Amino acid sequence: MKRFGDGIQSEKMLKWFFTLLILLILLIVSIFITVGMGAVAIPSECILSMVLEKGREAIASGSLDPFFHDLTPDEKIFFHIRLPRVIFGALVGMALAVAGGVMQGVFKNPMADPFILGISTGAAVGAIIGMTVLTSIGLYMRPLMAFLGAILTIFVVYNLARVGGKVAIDTLLLAGIAFGYFLYSVEWLLLIVFTDSPHEILSWLIGYLGNASWMDVEYTTAPVLLGVFLIFLFARDLNAMLLGDETAHYIGIGVESVRKILLALASLITAITVAFGGIIGFVGLIMPHMTRLIVGPDHRILLPASALFGAIFVIWTDTLARTVLAPAEVPVGVITPLFGAPLFIYLLVTRRRG
Amino acid sequence: MIPLEVRGVDVYYGNTRIIKNINFNSTGGEFIGIVGPNGSGKTTLLKTIGRLLKPRVGTVIIDQQEILSMKHKEFAKQVAAVPQDTQIEFEFKAIDIVLMGRNPHLGRLQMERPEDERIAKEAMKMTGCLHLMNRPIGELSGGERQRVIIARALAQEPRILLLDEPTSHLDINYQIETMDLLKSLSEKGLIVIAAIHDLNLAAQYCDRLIMLNSGEAIAIGKPEEVLSEERIREVFGCEVIVRHHPVTNACYITPLPKRRTQPRRRAKKVHIICGGGSGASIMHELHDAGFHVSAGVLNLLDTDYEVAEKLGIEVITEAPFSPVSEESHQANLRAIERTDAVIIAPVAFGFGNLKNLDVCEVALDLGKQVFIMKDVLEPENDYTGGEAKKRIERLLEMSAAVVEGIDDLKKALEALHRCSDKRL
Repeated sequence: MKRFGDGIQSEKMLKWFFTLLILLILLIVSIFITVGMGAVAIPSECILSMVLEKGREAIASGSLDPFFHDLTPDEKIFFHIRLPRVIFGALVGMALAVAGGVMQGVFKNPMADPFILGISTGAAVGAIIGMTVLTSIGLYMRPLMAFLGAILTIFVVYNLARVGGKVAIDTLLLAGIAFGYFLYSVEWLLLIVFTDSPHEILSWLIGYLGNASWMDVEYTTAPVLLGVFLIFLFARDLNAMLLGDETAHYIGIGVESVRKILLALASLITAITVAFGGIIGFVGLIMPHMTRLIVGPDHRILLPASALFGAIFVIWTDTLARTVLAPAEVPVGVITPLFGAPLFIYLLVTRRRG
Repeated sequence: MIPLEVRGVDVYYGNTRIIKNINFNSTGGEFIGIVGPNGSGKTTLLKTIGRLLKPRVGTVIIDQQEILSMKHKEFAKQVAAVPQDTQIEFEFKAIDIVLMGRNPHLGRLQMERPEDERIAKEAMKMTGCLHLMNRPIGELSGGERQRVIIARALAQEPRILLLDEPTSHLDINYQIETMDLLKSLSEKGLIVIAAIHDLNLAAQYCDRLIMLNSGEAIAIGKPEEVLSEERIREVFGCEVIVRHHPVTNACYITPLPKRRTQPRRRAKKVHIICGGGSGASIMHELHDAGFHVSAGVLNLLDTDYEVAEKLGIEVITEAPFSPVSEESHQANLRAIERTDAVIIAPVAFGFGNLKNLDVCEVALDLGKQVFIMKDVLEPENDYTGGEAKKRIERLLEMSAAVVEGIDDLKKALEALHRCSDKRL
């Protein structure tokens, strides 16, 4: 018999730990399986021997050179095309799922998502300006301008929906969608005016991970992981905010500033993924929603579990995107709305009836 | 040191001043009720103490610190609140909600410690909802949810607890439970400040009341001082009777309906023998049913006298606490002569009011009907050593009728109507 007074919390933490452990294992297994899949299939035993052999060489020489020189075609595909693509996909999925989870928490509504609220498109406009007009200043202008675009968008949309200190969720969604379309036009105008070949950029814009390189991974890893970590620090605040702003205030949360910080962080990680991976919509809608059904509404488990689910989801949908019409590829940004839009409509209909 | 000081607070919404120059202190361990009509600023005052609204003028000070200068978590260790709307849509368990009250005591990356869990469970035990611990909050009834929310506030271990209409959506049993709980918390040293709609609940439970009218505190003090008939008329614009308990001096309030039924023309006239509150409901009901009611002899200051005054019916009066004098007895007889029926309410008879039974004999002699409420026959109403009993028995022999209750009485009186109508 357990002593009255302890148990529930430690039991809960144990449950959370195992949930995350299982998801982490699933993620690693997913990476391992999907790197072999594509137009050129690489059997998993080959992957294992390639990694072991190159790893041994790298340790022996004390440098990363063996991963870059004297590679067989399979090794080239594996180390420089598939692996960065899968890892980058995992980062994108993680960031978008967490951003969606934050927005659903902040707005107390499961229909919020960075794409629906126009933030992704805002980031894309910023990124395009960074890539075209300001390209001479440096490559980092792309994520920086994307972040600026995302922040400005959430600022506009949030203030459009805020009437007398309260956010009307219908207005928020409609304002997001409408402003998103406005930005979509701006995006095209910029492409037509400033680029000779809009179609090249278009493949990035539509959410195509096929061009992902180690450089993309390098640029995104730190800001995404940092942003996600900072968001986790506010998990308990998000829980409290679900009980209403007034209650959150009374249990010691500076609601207004926490909301601003969280929306800024969510915009940041969204913007980073858009700057390098283009617009992959609805991941932020689907993942927190599905995860909530499994682990419940507590953001301390919901956010990390969504992050891992998001990573797994994008890895597999991107694999689907490159295999379903092989050897032709479909951008993953074309696949995700096939799942996301029906879910959005489902939520719209059920919530209206409820 | 004064734990709570509210100093000359003015609060505005836009350019409209909602509350004006509110001043009060609390030295701890008391239950303060904020009363007043809708829109008088009750919620605004609570929100100002709760730091949700900033006063344009004046300050709120807790332990010599201005609340606006405190950190969020520091403030939450001092002040907890139960907001008016306690709907929670998300599927948290009750215990999860209560544990959220530990937030001010935890660091960002800290999980709840066993100690926090113990405090949360204790709070749930105190509010009687520990058995609901693992139930989803959305499944609970209004009363159950309220107890979980109060437990959450208590888990903060605050010094001041603010509640906005804590009983307004609850059934009567939960209302009493909630007020009992708040009272006992205040006795343990908590400053409980609640906006309360129901004046009787406020009067019964609160140590002090603040009565607001259009944002101004027109009275602050003990309930029996604050709740006077004149003040309630002035603030709420309605007629009430305020009675005081003879021992505790606690007051209770009875509203009087605004609609005054005028006696019908050619209405039957009834005279009521009563006193000490025994005739209040009979007078009310018969008056509302359209009878022409009179009463007597009643002492001034008697409860029934007050009711009769409020209803605006004719009363034969006697000086306070005095026996029925010959003069008022004669007046009573004259009143009897004009009536169609006499009703004896279950009033206690002593030698002072025995004459009121004598008039009934006269009434019977004059051919009027006399109705005796059944409870009159109870021996404990006789303080004359059998003298009253004898007279009542004589009345019964002389064709006085016993009625069970007010409904019976009404039926009998209606029947009387019909007979006399036929006679006409």
